[in-house]
Amino acid sequence: MSAPPPKLSLQGIHKSFVAKGSALPVLNGVDISVAQGGFLSVIGPSGCGKTTVFNIIAGLLEPDAGTIHVDGEAVTNLRGRVGYMMQKDLLFPWRTVLENVLLGMELKKIPAAEARETAREYLNTYGLAGFENAYPRTLSGGMRQRVALIRTLISNPDILLLDEPFSALDYQTRLYLEGVLIEAVDTFKKTVILVTHDIDEAVALSRHVTVLSGRPTKVKANYAIDIQERTPIGARSDPRFHEYFHSLCAELDIQTRRKAA
Amino acid sequence: MNDMSAIPEQNLNIMPSDTPARTVPPKTTPAKIPESLVRVGLQLLMVVVVLGLWELGVRLGWISAFLFGSPVGIAQYAGKSIMDGSLPYDTWVTVFEATLGFVIGTVVGSLLGLSLWYSPFIARTVEPIVVAFNSVPKIAFAPIIILWFGTGLTSKVALAISLTAIVALIAAYQAAKDADPDLQGLMVTLGANKHQIFYNVIVPSSLPAIVATFRINVGFGLVGAVVGEFISSQRGLGHLIFTASSLYDLNTVWVGLFTLMAVGFVLYFVIDWVERRLIPWKVMDHRQELRV
Repeated sequence: MSAPPPKLSLQGIHKSFVAKGSALPVLNGVDISVAQGGFLSVIGPSGCGKTTVFNIIAGLLEPDAGTIHVDGEAVTNLRGRVGYMMQKDLLFPWRTVLENVLLGMELKKIPAAEARETAREYLNTYGLAGFENAYPRTLSGGMRQRVALIRTLISNPDILLLDEPFSALDYQTRLYLEGVLIEAVDTFKKTVILVTHDIDEAVALSRHVTVLSGRPTKVKANYAIDIQERTPIGARSDPRFHEYFHSLCAELDIQTRRKAA
Repeated sequence: MNDMSAIPEQNLNIMPSDTPARTVPPKTTPAKIPESLVRVGLQLLMVVVVLGLWELGVRLGWISAFLFGSPVGIAQYAGKSIMDGSLPYDTWVTVFEATLGFVIGTVVGSLLGLSLWYSPFIARTVEPIVVAFNSVPKIAFAPIIILWFGTGLTSKVALAISLTAIVALIAAYQAAKDADPDLQGLMVTLGANKHQIFYNVIVPSSLPAIVATFRINVGFGLVGAVVGEFISSQRGLGHLIFTASSLYDLNTVWVGLFTLMAVGFVLYFVIDWVERRLIPWKVMDHRQELRV
């Protein structure tokens, strides 16, 4: 019996940028793989090309070399399969909450009445009933990010791609939204890739962590996070949380323990 | 490091605050006269004082009525020309020329500027030509435009278009270029094509900048109409002012000027209304102005 192919696998990804006339290699053979329903975090030192990885997975950049497989099938890019969230909520300021949520369905030409019905259900579920006609500007940061999450979920992508979606929020709101995210991901059986520099969040949320090296970037290590507790606070309270946290910090050469003992 | 495990169990149900960031309406104290009423009163008082001193100066012989006119004379002429219908007609002619030129120039200019977003190559190619054309004071084209389009309505509208179109084009192109690339990226991953990105991201995010040019261009529209009438015309406020000043009829000149002022004033509020309709999400921001 062979194991099912991973949901998404990137193999030998190379990418260079031309800067001041010479090629600057950013990604130098990066392999990333995530199973169906898996939750993978990609961490690395700053400037290591996390954004480049993000853009390649999002389908905004084409790699110079390397292969991308979805469900074992080779694809050239991932456009239309990936829903992404960034630190910026990326809500359209000229659209109301409801209109923002409807964006993906409008593009897919889903009948307006049906789309509105679905959108209202989602807004109710995530505690945004009554704010349908508000402009994003009038909402708090946490509410805006919730709208962004709904917009991502409602277009029903196979893969959720997250780039530090909660790092601009205060800690309470952040824990709450992490909980909402985990619950939604489990409910809708989504595959998630979280690109982040936040080790704490990576350990608390994900099942696997891929550590990238400095530029030119390769994969430095892969970790499986074996914490059963799935709530953001529960995971952080697990005795193994700090083990993982310190190992990953060590991978990134971050000093976490005092030397003298 | 261990702060998370120190949180007691009952505090785990963390909810973010759901109160939207709205501003509290300013408190009105019933005992005081509203600030807006005081303001309007002071504004009227200033106008009355200036006109009063002017009239007094003319009566006392300090100000030459021949060179400066007088408020009473202005009022008399205004009353007469309103009654015989000539002032409303001249106003209508000028407003029509200016508005038509403004609308055509702004719409065509904005659409061209926005559509340059489609092709950075064409945009970069035409950019120096646009800049060169823009650096000529467009009013210098007025004599040729009169030659080409005659002395009637068309030449005034054409002049107003030439004044407004480039301003709108440059502003719209710049705004389209500045549209948030992350929003465009989001559209790409949602499977949007270039037209959908244009319609859903480029146009709405450029609208505030385009609407901002309306305010400038409404003035330029009037400049085009009035200058066109100065050079050659049979009707309009520019014609009224030009012929009256060549006859040293200063009261009539003032009537023309004050009417233009009133027209500009009204058009300003029309733009305000248009702005609220076109960019409601922006207009709201004014209420959240920071008070220092």
